[in-house]
Amino acid sequence: MIQVKDLVKKYGSFRAVDGVSFAVGRGELFGLLGPNGAGKTTTISVLATLLPANGGQVSIGGHDLAAAPDQVRRLIGIVPQEIALYTDLSARDNLEFWGRLYGLGGEALSRRVSELLEMADLVEQGKQPVADFSGGMKRRLNLVVGLVHSPEVLFLDEPTVGIDAQARSRILELIKELSGGGLTVIYTTHYLEEAEQLCDRIGVIDKGRMVAVGDKEELIRQIGDEDQVRFRLPAELLPELTQAAAGWPGFQGGRHERGKAVLLAGDGAGLLPHVQQWLEGRGLALDQLEVERPNLETLYLNLTGRGLRE
Amino acid sequence: MQILVMIAKDFRRALADRRAFVVNLALPLLLTFIMGLSFGGGFFGNSAGISAIPVALVGQDLPLMLREQLAQGLTESGFFTVTWTDSLEADAMVRRGDAAAAVVFPPDILEKFFTLEEVELQIWKDPGSSLKAGIVEQIITRGVAQYQAGEAVYLTLWPEDRAREGEASAREFWESEAFAGSFADVWQRFRRDSEDPAFREARQRLLQGMDRQTALTQALQVSPITLSVQDKSPLGEFEKKQEINLFNFFLPGFSVFFLMFSVAAGCRDLHRERKAGTLQRQMLSPVRRVDIIVARWLSISLQGGFMLAVLFLVGWVLFRINLGPDPLSLFLAVTACCLAATAVFLALALISPTEKIMDNLTTVLILVWSMVGGNFIPLEQMPGWVVAVGRFGFNYWANISFQNVMLENRSVLEAPGPLLVMAGVAAVLMIINILVFRTRAGRGGLA
Repeated sequence: MIQVKDLVKKYGSFRAVDGVSFAVGRGELFGLLGPNGAGKTTTISVLATLLPANGGQVSIGGHDLAAAPDQVRRLIGIVPQEIALYTDLSARDNLEFWGRLYGLGGEALSRRVSELLEMADLVEQGKQPVADFSGGMKRRLNLVVGLVHSPEVLFLDEPTVGIDAQARSRILELIKELSGGGLTVIYTTHYLEEAEQLCDRIGVIDKGRMVAVGDKEELIRQIGDEDQVRFRLPAELLPELTQAAAGWPGFQGGRHERGKAVLLAGDGAGLLPHVQQWLEGRGLALDQLEVERPNLETLYLNLTGRGLRE
Repeated sequence: MQILVMIAKDFRRALADRRAFVVNLALPLLLTFIMGLSFGGGFFGNSAGISAIPVALVGQDLPLMLREQLAQGLTESGFFTVTWTDSLEADAMVRRGDAAAAVVFPPDILEKFFTLEEVELQIWKDPGSSLKAGIVEQIITRGVAQYQAGEAVYLTLWPEDRAREGEASAREFWESEAFAGSFADVWQRFRRDSEDPAFREARQRLLQGMDRQTALTQALQVSPITLSVQDKSPLGEFEKKQEINLFNFFLPGFSVFFLMFSVAAGCRDLHRERKAGTLQRQMLSPVRRVDIIVARWLSISLQGGFMLAVLFLVGWVLFRINLGPDPLSLFLAVTACCLAATAVFLALALISPTEKIMDNLTTVLILVWSMVGGNFIPLEQMPGWVVAVGRFGFNYWANISFQNVMLENRSVLEAPGPLLVMAGVAAVLMIINILVFRTRAGRGGLA
């Protein structure tokens, strides 16, 4: 459904999107995961025809983005990060306005608006001004506005930013329902748990580059299946530590990262008594200990050398 | 079609926005009331003061009682302040602008009146006070016409009073031998002696007398009072002095001032929509980008037109401002003004990188343009170089256009210049606006 190849978007000399490539199948829910400023929104803006690309090829629904942007616009819906609604109008007025812009009218529009209000749990509040809505209600309305013309592809740009856990949960349910209905979705987020929970496949983006693409298991396999045991340790002691650890059960290797030793092992918890004993033998205390199962966070850390929320 | 959808949306938003209502309508209306009460002669223009028209009357030969009654009648109407004076002083008053007009009764008016000789009344007008002098002329003309009509009816009913024309009196006519005897005698006599010149004339007069319409027409052709109207050129230092109804000036001037704020706020909404993401959402719909900017132009212009219409209507209903010689002139002036204003402020919105910068620019521009463009001070009273600078603001042309229509009562056909300038400004700027919008949108500058 979506083919992106070597996509480049520059602002002056700064490459906000730097040779990004990925493909999304029909009905797939694809996540673009990355921290703020990674290039997710820019990528989506280019795919949605809002920004012109400086290089690469994009095809959506068989239409080349550069050659036929109008056809692409008819296929896609977008849910921007901002609450892109007229808050002085009611929910129904908003939906009717956007529907009319897409050429809907009469009974068909009225029926579609009612469906979407129901989908967003806003039937009772349909005639209230959007300004009176809670953050979660606005987010839900923002989402269904992007669906008013029944698009084949939906771009969701961080649709859960700034809302409470309950409202977020309702939005995620809604997205799952939509995806289950055959809609192709590209979902950007910097929340790992959302990407893990929702997406069929994930593209990890950092500094404008796509650093990894695949489903969750594929991605984790890229960093191995080992637990990671982290604790504070002066860098100069790492060779001595890895030498000693070579004899510990399940030890796979070690490295030093930002003031901490990182030991990889099939069973991280089993390594802890050995670590404790080794530190005590050198008059050191076990400080800032973390034992992690492999997950997307560790994947991201491995790929980019920094956390998603840094 | 989508343009209409976007215009309808903007109107719904405007109606739902209480703050916009206050800025666009409530405040201007409040100011209209204050100005109307201050300069417009009170509600319905009822009180004397500024709305009363100064008139000089010249007629030293009229009896004192008649002069007093005439002055009292005019003053009590509430429309006039009256000064009896001689012809020299009246002439000077009109030329100085102290009187909008002078009505001059000839010295021997009563004698001529009773001897049925033709009487000539004169009206001297101050061209700088065309509206008020015009009112005086209209009233005097109507009075003379009423007198002529009455005289005509009188002469039709009593044709014997045509004796002054040197003809035989009607009584003599009816008592002449032609009408002696029975009806049959008269009838036979008329038929038998039809070739006799005396009877032929009698028959003609009889027919004329029977035909009242002919008699009335003839009577109307004989005018015992004629009216001559002269424009008196202003004297020396008074040459530039133009008398104006202050409210007729202030209302359009301040309305254009408020229109600029209202239109600027509407155009600034482009920045807010961009920030909120609704502009981008529109650009991602199948709507043509040119339609987005044209719809915005039309909807803001329509809202501005609505605002001006309400203000002028209130001014007319409550304070009797002049709305010009015909509705079309005012409609075209309002339309051209609103389209030009919106095109100007849309251009400003498109070149301003942020809403805040646009805010600052519009505030400065509106205040400067209003000062030099004649919104607060009549252009005639400003130095030439200021007026020359003012020409670069669209509001200068709007003010001139409204003055033509509302102050000078001229139709747009008489003075189409300002209207054409505004139409030109609107057209040229909108072409530029469309190009800028499309270019910026194409480059992602509005994303």
